[in-house]
Amino acid sequence: MTGLVAVRHVDLRAAEPPVPVAELVLDIFWWGDLPLGFKQSLAGELPLGAGQMRALATELLAAQLAGRDPALGAPLAAGSEGRPRPALTLGAAAALDRPADALAAIAPAATNDARGISLVICTRDRPAALGKCLASLAGQRSPPGEIVVVDNSASGSARSTCLQFPGIVYVQEPRPGLSHARNAGVRAARGKIVAFTDDDVEPHPGWLAEIARAFERHDADCVTGLVLPASLDTAAQRSFQFAMGGFGSNVVPVMFDRRFFAETMPHGAQVWRIGAGANMAFRRSAFERAGLFDERLGAGASGCSEDSEFWYRLLALGGSCLYEPRAVTFHHHRAEWRELRSQMRSYMRGHVSALVAQWDAFGHRGNLQRIGRQLPSYFLRTALASLWHRRATRLLILAEEVRGWLAGLLYLVRPGWRRRRGEWPTL
Amino acid sequence: MGYRLVEIDFAQPLRPIALAADQNGCGIVARWHGRLVGFHLERCEPGATLSVAHLQRIADARFAQAVLAARVAEALPERSPEAADTTLSVVICTKDRAQRLARLLHSLHEAKRDSTFRSVEVIVVDNASTDQSTRDAAAGFGDVRYVLERRTGLNFARNAALAAATGQLIAYLDDDVVVDRCWLAGLAEAWRSRPDAGGFTGLVLPFRLDTEAQVHFEAIGGFGRGFARLEYRQVRFAKSLFPVGSGEIGAGCNMAFDRKLLVGIGGFDEALDTGAPLPGGGDLDIFYRVLRSGRTMVYEPRYAVYHEHRETIAQLRRQYWSWGLGMMAFLIKSRRSDPELKARHSGMVRWWFGDRSKALWKAILRGGMRDVRFVLAELWGGVVGLLGEYDRSLARVAAIREAAR
Repeated sequence: MTGLVAVRHVDLRAAEPPVPVAELVLDIFWWGDLPLGFKQSLAGELPLGAGQMRALATELLAAQLAGRDPALGAPLAAGSEGRPRPALTLGAAAALDRPADALAAIAPAATNDARGISLVICTRDRPAALGKCLASLAGQRSPPGEIVVVDNSASGSARSTCLQFPGIVYVQEPRPGLSHARNAGVRAARGKIVAFTDDDVEPHPGWLAEIARAFERHDADCVTGLVLPASLDTAAQRSFQFAMGGFGSNVVPVMFDRRFFAETMPHGAQVWRIGAGANMAFRRSAFERAGLFDERLGAGASGCSEDSEFWYRLLALGGSCLYEPRAVTFHHHRAEWRELRSQMRSYMRGHVSALVAQWDAFGHRGNLQRIGRQLPSYFLRTALASLWHRRATRLLILAEEVRGWLAGLLYLVRPGWRRRRGEWPTL
Repeated sequence: MGYRLVEIDFAQPLRPIALAADQNGCGIVARWHGRLVGFHLERCEPGATLSVAHLQRIADARFAQAVLAARVAEALPERSPEAADTTLSVVICTKDRAQRLARLLHSLHEAKRDSTFRSVEVIVVDNASTDQSTRDAAAGFGDVRYVLERRTGLNFARNAALAAATGQLIAYLDDDVVVDRCWLAGLAEAWRSRPDAGGFTGLVLPFRLDTEAQVHFEAIGGFGRGFARLEYRQVRFAKSLFPVGSGEIGAGCNMAFDRKLLVGIGGFDEALDTGAPLPGGGDLDIFYRVLRSGRTMVYEPRYAVYHEHRETIAQLRRQYWSWGLGMMAFLIKSRRSDPELKARHSGMVRWWFGDRSKALWKAILRGGMRDVRFVLAELWGGVVGLLGEYDRSLARVAAIREAAR
């Protein structure tokens, strides 16, 4: 794709905003602070016009009602690929007393007190990005009880940035690896809830209030949210968003619990569908129950998936995770093509390493099936489809994924690495 | 073997549906307080009875979300003007099908009861019928204008109507459809939602599913374009060939246009949709030209008709053939008349033959001789269309014009 790509935020309660100057526009639809959905359009297809805005509002709000109104079966349970399993019946839709009231009940943004939340941000040698992230946090409608910045650099490069903001708890964790940093953050945090975001993220003003409300309403051990692209200025960012699907696009809450785990475990529970490390929060009790993040995994170690491995453990031990997409953060995708390639390689390597770790800890064969059968078949299907549709970019990314997978396989034959099975750090 | 076609308003108490011994399925047109919300084909054992519980399961899976959306629509603030403050001409082009014409006029009469248009005129264009019956059928309905077009060819008839009509909007219907009782309300709603649109298309549901051919046609998608309102412009995301091959917008048996625009772009191409030798391509061509004029087209599901599908397998096979033929004739014509998009036309020719070859391969693997012959007919139509059918049609049409002088 060439030319400009713009992200446009469209509040379907209000007049349509002007069409940005761009070849392609990613519309993100909102109902106030409630994210409703996405649509990609060429500039020539815009503006949408009043009729299409109304048609979209109708369809998208109906989906929100089905996913949020307890009388209609909400919250929805996760299906095998993490998507919400429809629970709406005609009887329930018909019995809905007053649709306007039902909409009014789900629409308001949260104003819940977030002072019980410790926000942990792990950073490594990205002072400029961290500065933007910390500056954006000042706009939180409900500020957290504390902000803990864990500096994972050897040089302590984040210290001077933190000094520019009042009240930041600065923790240095020189042992490299995101899991070490996250664990240091959890140990330093004093709140009953520990929320994580990354240094390349800017949260929505209502983010922590929504997290707080989700924990008040549900007894889930973990709440994850929607990660939206902050911008799509470069080709690499667009590839990540469109070719790879970004961080997901589901806008309906989904409950991942014991049942989801039991149903999907035989074929490798797709725990990575639960969310992303750039937008997740845990009750402190979850760490007391399941231990801390596996320090062999994550950026700086095997590559990634320290978050999803923790979810796996949590679910295996009977816990639950709620995906609540109205808790929104905006992520700056990797801008350079070179960075994206290395990211996709380490994602896949980290993914395979987490599967090995899960197999070692629990003996669930689905993890091996994923490594040996599902991933190769995914590679093959993607290769054929990319060739057929002549998607060169996708092929290049796929090559990195295959390299990452091969590198991941090496963990299977590293006895020293695997010997540390099931020994997770504790609080 | 055929399917039973039923209309169910799911806001009313449900009753079981009994199939006859020669029915092995059921087509369900679903409504909610009269509003169309969905269509579903359910295969069953011959002579079976669909219990209320079974119908409820179908409704939960297929219609509940649409019902919820209809209820949400009630709750959203309505746009201001209720009435469609415009005039409408409804045109029916017909040839030697007096019975079907009467059936359609009757349904139109019903739909007109609660029209919100400033005025609605109905024009029947008799396309050189061989006897008086068409004229008599039209005369049976008081307020119908009768226009005779002696030159045989659907697009001759459509252009004759264009010249005779006075409405700001002109809606075309084929004589093998019946309109839904909300047809006019649906068109009015579509127009109100975008008064500057160049054209409108609507939902086409089956009129009956009595034969294997009719069930087969509906099962592969029929003329159905779904229950979501859509808008189309000159370009579409992830459809690099659009608006070439704009068949997804709708079907020629149910379409409406801004009459002035249609006149301005020269009306319908009389060398397409000519009947027997080249019975197709006309709707693709007019949708394409409206979009290329820079105007929007709106698809509105409530603007719905019921279409009598081809009755026999042989007729359906011929229809496959005519799709291939019409598609290629349209592409050859447009490539010539709109050189700016030449690459897209060539791309569509390649894509179409590739896609149909894939379909042929799949049909062979499934081993159904009938499906193989359908695809072969379509491919053969495509080849004939590619090899000069449009030029032959131009020559034929010129001769018809000459003879009529």
